[in-house]
Amino acid sequence: MTRDSLITSENDVDIGLEFEGLEDEVDTFQEEHERERHRGKRRDGERAKKKKRGNGERRKRASNAGQEEEKLQARREKKGRRKRSSSDQQAEGREGDEAEQPTTKSSKAAKTRKNVKNEKTRKVEKEEKEDEADDEERNAKRKKKHGSNNKEENVEDGNKHTVKEKAGEVKKKKHKKVVETSSEKETSEEEDSEEEDSEEKEVRPETLTPEELETLKEAVDERKKLIQGLRGKPWAMKKKLVTLRESQEFVEKYEGALGKGKGRKLYAYKVMMTKKWMKFKRDFENFKTACIPWEMKIKEIESHFGSSVASYFIFLRWMYGINMILFCLTFGLVMVPEALMGRPYGTIPRKTVPRAEAPSAMDFAVLWDFGGYAQYSVLFYGYYNNQRAIGWLKFRMPLSYFLVGVGTVAYSYMVVIRTMARNANESGVGDDNSFNFSWKMFTSWDYLIGNPETADNKFASITTIFKEAILEEQESRKDDNIHLTRFLRVLANFLVLCCLAGSGYLIYFVVRRSQKFALDGLENHTWWERNEVNMVMSLLGMFCPMLFDVISALENYHPRVALQWQLGRIFALFLGNLYTFIIALMDEINLKREEEKIVKFNITTWEASLYNISASENSTAPPVTIQPADVPRGPCWETMVGQEFVRLMISDTMTTYITLLIGDFLRAVLVRFLNYCWCWDLEAGFPSYSEFDVSGNVLGLIFNQGMIWMGAFYAPCLPALNLLRLHVSMYLQCWAVMCCNVPQERVFKASGSNNFYMAMLLVILFLSTLPAIYTIVTIPPSFDCGPFSGKKHMFDVIQETLESDFPAWISKVFSSASNPGLVLPFILLMVLAIYYLQSTSKSYKEANVDLKKKLQTQNEENKKKNKLAALKAQMDLEEARKATSPSAEHQKNNNASPDQEDEEEDRGRGQRMYHSQNGRSPPPPRHDGYLPATRAPVPRNYHHGNQGSAGYLPGFPRESEARMHRVSSLQRH
Amino acid sequence: MVSPAIALAFIPLLLTVLIRCRFYFVLFYRAVLVRIWRDCVTGLSREERAYQYVLTHATPGDPDSILEAFDVWCSKVEFISTIGPKKGKVLDRMLMEQSPLTVLELGSHCGYTTVRIARSLPLGARLYSVEMDQRNAAIAEKIIRLAGFDDDTVELIVNPSDEVIPRLRSEYGLERLDFVFMDHWKKCYLPDLQMLEGTGLLGKGSMIVADNVLFPGAPKFLRYIRKCGLYEWKVHRATLEYSRGIRDGMAELVFQGIK
Repeated sequence: MTRDSLITSENDVDIGLEFEGLEDEVDTFQEEHERERHRGKRRDGERAKKKKRGNGERRKRASNAGQEEEKLQARREKKGRRKRSSSDQQAEGREGDEAEQPTTKSSKAAKTRKNVKNEKTRKVEKEEKEDEADDEERNAKRKKKHGSNNKEENVEDGNKHTVKEKAGEVKKKKHKKVVETSSEKETSEEEDSEEEDSEEKEVRPETLTPEELETLKEAVDERKKLIQGLRGKPWAMKKKLVTLRESQEFVEKYEGALGKGKGRKLYAYKVMMTKKWMKFKRDFENFKTACIPWEMKIKEIESHFGSSVASYFIFLRWMYGINMILFCLTFGLVMVPEALMGRPYGTIPRKTVPRAEAPSAMDFAVLWDFGGYAQYSVLFYGYYNNQRAIGWLKFRMPLSYFLVGVGTVAYSYMVVIRTMARNANESGVGDDNSFNFSWKMFTSWDYLIGNPETADNKFASITTIFKEAILEEQESRKDDNIHLTRFLRVLANFLVLCCLAGSGYLIYFVVRRSQKFALDGLENHTWWERNEVNMVMSLLGMFCPMLFDVISALENYHPRVALQWQLGRIFALFLGNLYTFIIALMDEINLKREEEKIVKFNITTWEASLYNISASENSTAPPVTIQPADVPRGPCWETMVGQEFVRLMISDTMTTYITLLIGDFLRAVLVRFLNYCWCWDLEAGFPSYSEFDVSGNVLGLIFNQGMIWMGAFYAPCLPALNLLRLHVSMYLQCWAVMCCNVPQERVFKASGSNNFYMAMLLVILFLSTLPAIYTIVTIPPSFDCGPFSGKKHMFDVIQETLESDFPAWISKVFSSASNPGLVLPFILLMVLAIYYLQSTSKSYKEANVDLKKKLQTQNEENKKKNKLAALKAQMDLEEARKATSPSAEHQKNNNASPDQEDEEEDRGRGQRMYHSQNGRSPPPPRHDGYLPATRAPVPRNYHHGNQGSAGYLPGFPRESEARMHRVSSLQRH
Repeated sequence: MVSPAIALAFIPLLLTVLIRCRFYFVLFYRAVLVRIWRDCVTGLSREERAYQYVLTHATPGDPDSILEAFDVWCSKVEFISTIGPKKGKVLDRMLMEQSPLTVLELGSHCGYTTVRIARSLPLGARLYSVEMDQRNAAIAEKIIRLAGFDDDTVELIVNPSDEVIPRLRSEYGLERLDFVFMDHWKKCYLPDLQMLEGTGLLGKGSMIVADNVLFPGAPKFLRYIRKCGLYEWKVHRATLEYSRGIRDGMAELVFQGIK
């Protein structure tokens, strides 16, 4: 992506220069003259360089171009000299302008006819030349022929066809004309034309003979090619820059000059439009970037803290996107319809606060716990009515509720799996550890860093990486006291397990206690006791990772491995906590269901008594109207589950923010300002500033999402709350990172861990949908609350809809499709398909590996061949030298050189052995002092140059691609 | 009232802090608690105890054996803040490279560093050691003489450093300091450095080494040398003497003068 932008910008500059060049050409003659002189000088220099380059075909062409340039140059100089003399006759020249044009044409025609060899093509071209717009066309054609991909070509390509047709039409007439005018003499026209040229730049191409034009165009194309291929050249940067500038000047000068009259204007117009189009495209790109939410913020953070921290924020943004969709689903299809079209608050018991709770229903403490009015609102499951269709739209509320619940989960699965697959594709290419040091050498730097401090850290971390890698290599050979290490590792894991078990037990204990409190009635207990579960869970989630971190110091793992272990342990901890919570919740659900049974019984008796009373009173008057608030009701375990999850999420959010404020902000403030009056250096020493904990934050995010997935079915408000949380934490964390964190000491690239996070997300998704699905499928819904009340199972709503809303045959189809006889073969088929796909993908992978190997060996062979060829050429040359100049000194020199060469080769081989897996040759050693004595290294250079431009080496391009992909994969979220 | 479960949840934090800061706790125990206890028991000061140990365990006239005895005492018995063997080696190397003729040591404490510097000085070099405390200076004097360095090599000046430095030129006839070693009060690093600059005793190429810039730490000093641009500087990172886990550093400054 960066490369793209670079290219466009370069092209842009290119065209800009060309455009300027066009304008320049209207300048005064003096300037032109001077410039030409300069250029002549430079061109000489360049020619010398080109000779040095010694590059097969390219070289030939270059020399060709050089010759032709020489010619041109000569002409120019002549022109220049003549110019002064002719300046007196300018007026005459101008007068003769129109008259002379035909003559020049004719002269050229005569010349062409002399050229018998490729008469036809010449003719065609000449005729085209007489067309006014032909110039660009030919350029385009030529470019296409040479396979150059200049951007303008695309623009011009469109015009090309039309122009060509025109040219075809005019062809015959012109031909005749040529034949007619061809008989004229060709004595003085060259001088005339040159005068013309010096006076009127636009007509200048007329003065050139077609051959010269040809060569000129070839030269221009040559230059263009050179500009394009410059990037891959194995030259010094300075030389590259000089060559680029020269070539661009050349191109801009002659390309514009090849047009004439109207065509030139058209050309200029086109160039201008191309330029504007480019600018527009670039602006549009910028606009697009500005449209991506938080892009600039993330970029800024990336430049300060490296890509690993930025990857967290990209992940956060991706999460935000997913939650946005979940929110839209639940909000648009469940909450809003119920709020707008459902029965209003207070009409039925489930939509009314019970009488006992009514006085405190609006208290903040109650609302903060999502009781009171919050509990009896669209935010929770219990509020929804089991009415089949609501409102004038006949909105199927229960069905919608069920489908949205299923849909959110299905959507999440789809997105996560798709992202994982995409990431796997990209990261699956460059995997192997065999090029350990080369990878570190060439890919360690994070090019997005824009902050000196981070760059320092990165530098230090690369150094340590190298140190560690070397140590690792050494350690892999010797094993010092492996038993002690093993023992320590086992001990560490044991300690961690103890810690996990302890935290699990603590949570279980707390949850059971809270149930006891709940039975006693929450009002009798303090705030601490009421919020014990959430507090304990948050605290454990916060402190246990620290302990793990300390314990993991025992293990003496490589930092990367240690990080993975750490992540795994935190994952286990969070998961354990969550599942303990769920198990406790299940207990509570069972309790509630028991309670429900009693309530149900009570209600029947209550209703009976009510009925009895009304019957005994024997009044024909209206049946007793009972306030919905007074109706006794069941405990509604679904709402309870929803509430628990919402509370958990809120407390989790609070903990995160408070940790952020205390752990990061307050600490930073203290460190910063206490440092003026403290006995040791707080900034460099013990408390220091905090680092951004990527793994912990990512895990927190993942588990938070898990809670959302688990609880969203019972509390439709959960995605909305989560959206809010993510939004706030985006800004808060961005601010906190920029204001009170320091870049990590171990700046590492995030690319590798990306899919790891996604995998964890998938696991969490699975594990969090498991209990939700279990409750939905097995536990019957409460009898008096929620959209599924009165049904035996929640999924009965589907059956109901099928039966009543669809024609009979569909339900028949469904019932027959759910027949095990059909389902089992289908599942079998699916398993088979999966197996087949997996095996094919495996075989593809193997094929890939084979191909890689093949490429490597081929590359090796090529190198050998090239080397042999070079050696042979060198030997030949030396022999020739010996034959020509048999002086003692030379001989000595020659005798010495093969030895040197051999040595060199040996060294090269050694290096290759060393880097052998890398698949790229070490740059051939240069012997600058040795170069003039014998011309031996020339073929060597040629070989190297070829390597650079062709890029057939598997090692390097692959590597760079992998990097690019990785970066893009980060941005994909 | 806070419920016990919430208090239990803080156990991991407590453990973490204990393990993280174990070196600091150990240091606190060795440097403060043991010292107070021994002071009460023996009635001698810490430096005197160290001197007794050295006297009984080292060969007189042999600086190496004296240093070794010191190291053993500091790591095994009690803690005294000297430069320690590891940072001492760095110091030795710097002295070897520089081979200074005039050396100023600020804060000789009980003479460990003085012996260490004096032992690697070239012939004819002179070391001025400044110590503020009378009793410590007495011990240091004894130790120095025990190691076999006479008054020509090492001159002990018993005075606060901020009084000594301005008088160096006048009273001691110094023209230029080749090497300055700072290991006295961390707060005095910066004013003393500025004072040294003011006296003009520092020439181009004079080296200043300051110990303990990270662990007790001299942030102002570091900030100053970072900003002032008079020095070419670097910090040798190491651990605190006789302790493995506490990071410390030794700043090496080379005076460049005003460009």
